[in-house]
Amino acid sequence: MPDGNQTIIGQPAIRIDGRAKVTGMARYASDEVVANPAHAFLVTSAIARGRIRGFRLDAARAVPGILDILMHGNVGGEAEKPKPMSGGDTTTTLESDRVWHDGQIIAVVLAESFEAAREAAHKVEVDYEAEPPSATFGSPGVEEEVRKAGEHKDYKVGDAEASFAVAEVKVDARYGTPTQHHNPIELFTTTCEWRGGKLTVYEPSQFVYGLRGSLAKQLRMDPGDIHVVSRFVGGAFGSRGGITARTAWIAVAARRLNRPVRLVATRDQGFTIVTYRAETRHHIQLGATRDGRLTALRHEGWEVTSRPSEYNVSGTETTARVYACPNILTKVNIVHADRNTPGFMRAPPETPYMFPLEVAMDELAVALNMDPVELRRINDTQTDPATGKPYSSRSLMPCFDQAAERFGWKGRNPAPGTMRDGDWQVGWGCATAAYPANIGPAAARVTLTLEGKARVQIAAHDIGTGAYTVIAITAADRLGLEIGKVVVELGGSELPAAGLAAGSSHTAGICNAVAKACEGVRQRLAQAAVTSNDGPLAGQDPAKLTLSAGALRAPGGAAEDLPKALARVTTGVLEVYAENIPKGLPPESIGKVYQGQMAMSRGHSREDATTYTFGAQFVEVRVHALTREVRVPRAVGAFAAGTIVNPLTAHSQYMGGMIWGISAALHEATEIDPHAARYVNDNIAEYLMPVNADVRSIEVIMVPEQDAQVNPLGIKGIGEIGIVGMNAAISNAVWHATGRRIRDLPIRIEDLL
Amino acid sequence: MRPFDYQQAQGTAAALALAAQHLAPPGEERILAPAQYLAGGTNLLDLMKIGVAHPPALINITALRQDHGRIETDASGLRLGALARMAEAAEHPAVLRDYPAIAQSLQLAASQQLRNMATLGGNVLQRTRCNYFRDPSWQACNKRVPGTGCAAMAGVNRRLAVLGVSEHCIAHYPGDFANVLAALGAEVEILSSDGTARRIAFEELHRLPGDAPHIDTNLRPGELIISFRVPAGPWTRRSLYLKIRDRESYDFAQASAVVALDLQDGVVREARVGLGGLVAKPWRSHEAEAALRGRKLDQASAQASADAAFQGAVTHGENAFKPELGRRTLVRALLQAAAMET
Amino acid sequence: MDVLLKVNGTEHRLAVDVRTTLLDALRERLELTGTKKGCDLGQCGACTVLLDGMRVLSCFTLAVAAQEAEITTIEGLAGENKPLHPMQKAFLEQDAYQCGYCTPGQILSAIACVQEGHANSADQIREYMSGNLCRCAAYPKIVAAVQQAKLLMEGP
Repeated sequence: MPDGNQTIIGQPAIRIDGRAKVTGMARYASDEVVANPAHAFLVTSAIARGRIRGFRLDAARAVPGILDILMHGNVGGEAEKPKPMSGGDTTTTLESDRVWHDGQIIAVVLAESFEAAREAAHKVEVDYEAEPPSATFGSPGVEEEVRKAGEHKDYKVGDAEASFAVAEVKVDARYGTPTQHHNPIELFTTTCEWRGGKLTVYEPSQFVYGLRGSLAKQLRMDPGDIHVVSRFVGGAFGSRGGITARTAWIAVAARRLNRPVRLVATRDQGFTIVTYRAETRHHIQLGATRDGRLTALRHEGWEVTSRPSEYNVSGTETTARVYACPNILTKVNIVHADRNTPGFMRAPPETPYMFPLEVAMDELAVALNMDPVELRRINDTQTDPATGKPYSSRSLMPCFDQAAERFGWKGRNPAPGTMRDGDWQVGWGCATAAYPANIGPAAARVTLTLEGKARVQIAAHDIGTGAYTVIAITAADRLGLEIGKVVVELGGSELPAAGLAAGSSHTAGICNAVAKACEGVRQRLAQAAVTSNDGPLAGQDPAKLTLSAGALRAPGGAAEDLPKALARVTTGVLEVYAENIPKGLPPESIGKVYQGQMAMSRGHSREDATTYTFGAQFVEVRVHALTREVRVPRAVGAFAAGTIVNPLTAHSQYMGGMIWGISAALHEATEIDPHAARYVNDNIAEYLMPVNADVRSIEVIMVPEQDAQVNPLGIKGIGEIGIVGMNAAISNAVWHATGRRIRDLPIRIEDLL
Repeated sequence: MRPFDYQQAQGTAAALALAAQHLAPPGEERILAPAQYLAGGTNLLDLMKIGVAHPPALINITALRQDHGRIETDASGLRLGALARMAEAAEHPAVLRDYPAIAQSLQLAASQQLRNMATLGGNVLQRTRCNYFRDPSWQACNKRVPGTGCAAMAGVNRRLAVLGVSEHCIAHYPGDFANVLAALGAEVEILSSDGTARRIAFEELHRLPGDAPHIDTNLRPGELIISFRVPAGPWTRRSLYLKIRDRESYDFAQASAVVALDLQDGVVREARVGLGGLVAKPWRSHEAEAALRGRKLDQASAQASADAAFQGAVTHGENAFKPELGRRTLVRALLQAAAMET
Repeated sequence: MDVLLKVNGTEHRLAVDVRTTLLDALRERLELTGTKKGCDLGQCGACTVLLDGMRVLSCFTLAVAAQEAEITTIEGLAGENKPLHPMQKAFLEQDAYQCGYCTPGQILSAIACVQEGHANSADQIREYMSGNLCRCAAYPKIVAAVQQAKLLMEGP
């Protein structure tokens, strides 16, 4: 692809959808207007394990305005349970009388108004046949098994057990991370409308084709008869990736009532009707020489999942390849409890698994009496230690060095408890961030009009990431237009397919597809221009012509304005459709996306190279000397992620990720009643997420990096790396402030009293 | 939420009369919950939405602001109209100058939006945030349904009370402002539905759970709080409210302390001490005050006071850390108050 | 119940269930969907509107109880193709959001924050904007946006 003088990629650009967002005109799924909707309210289980004997519905049915109540008994056969994108089987809802977990959907109440639906739902009485449930690790009745190789695998390099046994310096410790919920501020909503045999679904989604494909299977429909609309998404973080049970039942409800049905699930229901980040446990053993070279790395993880699911994140696939080490052994176990099935949440494997590794590295640095940054430098590598493949690019130490410089790390006294500001103990900590550079196949359609405007259509998803804008930037860059001349349509299954907006893969996938379609436009224009008899570009080499600043240009300076060049091809519009299949994926992978299946080339799945993004996190914490609350006055993160398409929104992504990391360390934990196996703090007054006052100085450094191997545009993805390692950096800083090593998150007042 | 009769009261007499219509006849036990007064609505609508409160009638008393929304001070003390909003009381110049603990307790509570809505009278009546109480799908909650038990004692109780609890209930009183009223010896002025007024000590407004945790206060059906009177004292200017919480703002207290001191040459002539975040009702610690009186305020006396305050603490697993956090919070507050410029 | 709501300078007469919140009345009945439901329990601030210029939560306001007031929602700040309010412009330029869902509430809250006189320092803005959760965590940029808009709202 010719590179020309394009300069728009990499320049900060205000979001093209920004005006819609600041004026309230952006339509999120539940904002879409449908005619005369009925309102749905979910009834969810109050026990975590057992069966439903029956319902007592007289009081609910007596509520004025009630229309219908959906239950296993009357609609159970009308839909099949959804298939998760990972982990195999999952729990049922109305398909069965079985209760698998707290808060499971067991009935759907439909009424003329939201108020009536809520009242009636509260009046539904349920007779349960309850069984004693198992809540989490250590609860009676959980079933533990070794995770089988399949979606994820373990690594065994050399002999880690023997090497650890004889290591000169060792760290051997156990760690834990808590249950967490995404809690996007937009609630989990679904609106369904039938017209004839065709169904329209308005639902916030990270994968509209996935939603369409799964729903078609569940309802035994032709996918072509389902249209999914998700133009704006009020936060996602993984929670809107896979389809959940509610969608099919709202579709069934709308069919039964023969009118549109809208569900706006409550905040507490959002804890149990979608997925979550499961709690994890870890055992880490690090062995090293006295000069700090790692000789052994063992990482064993345990993850909770539901009874039927084998969902796990296996973050050992990342922790095995962060540092040079000749002897590596990983293992992952899954623990089945009476819980809903977990799923993706921001940096699903790395947030829980890099925490123990990076705290253990800090412990090793202490044991070696070595600066933690120097320990990372000694064990840095350009070769993937798990496979021996080269990294396509890896800028870990430039990230450490730039962040350390900005942070002022060299002024740190390594001894804990030595820094103080009035009544506050001060500590500094750091950690490595690592995340795979993933990419999925995608298709895009680019239409150029004679007025010099472009329309880009792609079923991408803007979950706050700035997808609208990076698509416009890419098209403007490649077509030589101003960004304002590009209109972007996304978030609908009527558009060319794009994959799941997750795994930091989306910008790479969609921008490369858009660039490819734009290249098709350029080729058509160039071919017509060079073969014409009269034009300024006649006879030029078409491969060398580029589109820039509103014209088709040759290297020598000859140029033709875009409208004229376009007029040689068409008197109407020029439309080009293109599919981009990333390296490492078969051609048919785009077909999988159209069918709604996940297809992704992962950072460790390519034959030629390991593609990963790296970064460094530095943080200062303050712990009150007496009352022990922990605050974070400043953090510095440096990340190298190849091409940054829009530094303005990239900065927001990194910054948001870092704050998520602070939150993961200090705030977020879903608390489970140990006896009832039910979530207790299922509200956002007590499932704590940071408020404005919790966040002070957050500095982001974007370390320049070019990676020609990872994909044509050199994009590695940025949505998740910002969170990774921050939880460990904070734990390390708390140790530095107080001398207390906290290995279980979140770090709370009571851990430091 | 169930449907309710909605009435807008144009004045105090009208509000009381409307409430009287919903009272059960004399001699009959209360069968229906009486009408509820609706002011800011920030707790009442909350409880109605989650299915905990089902008042058959709401009487909107916002118009009573004209009669009972004023904040006045004189030599005898401070009078806070019960219909004054939290936000205005928090920024009232006389409150800020003479009763800083009151201003701080309001300022550190909730968010500006909620403080703009919530009235002082409604704020002191907010109910516990115990999630076993707030979610009717939990069967065992003596506060919500008497005699059903308490799921919280062996459950998730990190935020729940350690002072004033009973074997029937460990729900916490979640507010801030009320702890200051209790500590400063405020009185509450109440009108009954027949228009007669009574005044009780604020400390007597809320009840300990005992064996009837479902009854939060000593208010009788139809009664309306119209004001709080905080007596003047040489200690009110040297007063503060210290709130310890997981989040820096918009969070309930894990522990809090009210301290008001009358110091002479570093020696405590008189002290007022209150506690929050871990108490079953708004809390004044007379024991903590007694431990300070006549002593020089230093680390040792502060610690002795804090030890006295938590003599009777009872914990239930997760909240075992709270007495120690509470003691430290009080020590910190005492030393901070001693260092205040007044 | 019949209610009369004065929203963004326009009077709307409508019949509502007595239980209908101002939030649901705006969204479901008046098609003013810029005001967002994020928790419906006063915990997130996404439903913030101005009532006679004062920021309040529309999820805790009954529609029947909002009849006396002038209600301002995000749609009332700038019409289609009209100039943006300085606060809207500042949010746009500072990238003070990501998903945008909390943004209408943030902007209305921020306007009130300035008008109340609670935007005199970064620390004060942080405290007085803490009633509006942003899960994308755009907080530092929200503070910058409030500072930028304050200069324009108050003049030099």
